[in-house]
Amino acid sequence: MSAVVSVTDLTKRYQGVTALDRVSFSLAEHRIHGLLGRNGAGKTTLMQILTAQNFATSGEVSVFGQHPYENEQVLSRISFIKESQTYPSNLRVTHVLRAARLVYSDWDEEFAQRLVDVFQLPLGRNVRKLSRGMLSTLGIVVGLASRAPLTFFDEPYLGLDAVARQLFYDHLLADYTEHPRTIVLSTHLIDEVSDLIEHVLLIDQGRLLLDVEAEALRGQVVTVSGPVAAVDEFARTGSELHRASLGGTARATVRGDFGPAAHDRARSLGLDLEASSLQDIVVRLTTSHNGRAAGSAAAADKEAVR
Amino acid sequence: MEDGRPIFLQIAELLENSILDGTLAEEDQVPSTNELAAYHRINPATAAKGVNKLVDDGTLYKKRGIGMFVSSGARAKLRGRRRDEFARQYVRPLLTEARKLGIEPAELKSMIDTWEESR
Amino acid sequence: MNRALTVARLQFVAWRSVVGWPWGILALSFLINLALFSAMNEADDFEPTTGGLMSIYVVMFVASVNAITQDFPFALGLGVSRRSFYLGNVLNYLGQAISYAAVLYLLAVIEEATDGWGVNLTFFGIPFLLVDNPVLRFLGFAIPFLLLGFIGIAIALVFKRWGVNGLLMLSTVALAGIGGLVVLATWRGWWSAIGGWFVDQPGWALLVGWPALLTLLLAGLSYLTIRRATP
Repeated sequence: MSAVVSVTDLTKRYQGVTALDRVSFSLAEHRIHGLLGRNGAGKTTLMQILTAQNFATSGEVSVFGQHPYENEQVLSRISFIKESQTYPSNLRVTHVLRAARLVYSDWDEEFAQRLVDVFQLPLGRNVRKLSRGMLSTLGIVVGLASRAPLTFFDEPYLGLDAVARQLFYDHLLADYTEHPRTIVLSTHLIDEVSDLIEHVLLIDQGRLLLDVEAEALRGQVVTVSGPVAAVDEFARTGSELHRASLGGTARATVRGDFGPAAHDRARSLGLDLEASSLQDIVVRLTTSHNGRAAGSAAAADKEAVR
Repeated sequence: MEDGRPIFLQIAELLENSILDGTLAEEDQVPSTNELAAYHRINPATAAKGVNKLVDDGTLYKKRGIGMFVSSGARAKLRGRRRDEFARQYVRPLLTEARKLGIEPAELKSMIDTWEESR
Repeated sequence: MNRALTVARLQFVAWRSVVGWPWGILALSFLINLALFSAMNEADDFEPTTGGLMSIYVVMFVASVNAITQDFPFALGLGVSRRSFYLGNVLNYLGQAISYAAVLYLLAVIEEATDGWGVNLTFFGIPFLLVDNPVLRFLGFAIPFLLLGFIGIAIALVFKRWGVNGLLMLSTVALAGIGGLVVLATWRGWWSAIGGWFVDQPGWALLVGWPALLTLLLAGLSYLTIRRATP
């Protein structure tokens, strides 16, 4: 599968702050990628550089095989929906949609109108008078109906309730299924998207901690609890991310290549085993006290997964 | 979908369960990967991986241009495989727990008989 | 170029407000002046220019500031390159300057033919520039649109790239520069020479030639600035 995006040693520094620190990865075509990380981890900066809205300090970026800066061929195939998008104050919702239709060659007007109905967007309202949720919805409609071969959604649902978010996920999935394209979904609502994404990129403090298939990550991190000696023995089969002890018992979160056999082993050791969700894994990795160690473990693991 | 286990395995298991309990009869058409993806709200590639696992082990077969169907003999084969797994999944932990409580195997057997009678 | 045309069209999606504001305000200014002149009803020899014509140029200036602060982030958000955005903007300005100047020219002709709308009102005519050459007269209406447009763009871009501090720095440098020149001219006694130069300049050079040159300079500098601007 060909890479739509490839990034090598990308670094971005703003006055003394390192927003991205030698990040390297590539994105395969026609997949939904989850770009995960805490607020301020560098997700938005990364997407701004990939869409040539911002400039890298050093490193290389290639999108559709070319550098995106001032590259019409590349830029016209990208849709970047961001939470902070502003609109000219004289525009109404319908004007924004008309503008998007002018720009995107794959724009589906019928689909856009359907989404407007589903999300109950007031077409005649001025953009400055939209609620936060409606602004998010407008971005979602533009992002979906543009059908751009490379679509970025950067926290697209600020101000949306759970129902509207589910509508977004359902329409994203349905439309992606019919019109496969490369999608990057940046979010901190990991539980909500964990079943949608095929590939996970986790960024923390400007560094890439994970670059792995979502399926490979499932069951890779488990929490075992029971007698200290048994926990110790089990923990030896992987790398320990976190531990809490109480008297003779302990609870440890361990990362490793755990299949059904590992579950059996835990049981025969008399341990309770619980597999961690994607959200738990991300929380563990990004709050791990030895963040650097977790990072390098992730890097080593990345190779193993491929 | 359940956390902590690859989703494609869960999809494969769900289809297996439908075949085992007869919801999906042999030679029946299986839902398409797109239908599975929409219904379970999962990535279609993952759904496809689950279906393909069953194609690979012969449970399903592909009719070009039409879709996936349950192979004949799939139910019996699945049942045999599940029986092996049953021992690993249920009997072994039962024995482990019994040992912890000091229940001898003979005592365990009589317990099972008593439960079966009282059912 | 195709993409630049798209941008020009993009800026016209809400054409009612794009065209409505400048002409609405000009019309309002005109009507007020017309009412005033009708009320005064004095047929003096002197022909005052109301200055109301300036309003449409001021609106153009404000719109060009908005083009950078509002349209630029929107267009880049839709995957438009900086170059295309800029070219589209230039096309847009050229189109507006030409069509607006044509309308103003026409109104000025009507104004003359009707003896100042019957009340001796000089609203569209520019008295100190009585050139007979129709092309120059037309450019006299058109070039100031472009000049104000590009001044707006240049100022907004300085703000966009270097923030409030950049703007303050620019005005400080400009003030110091102009102040320095004034002091220098006074000290060296250059004022009569400067006055003479202005008097010697033909009208077309003052209203068309020099503004056109300044416009080109600003357009070039703005292009270089926008290429490294972030939305």
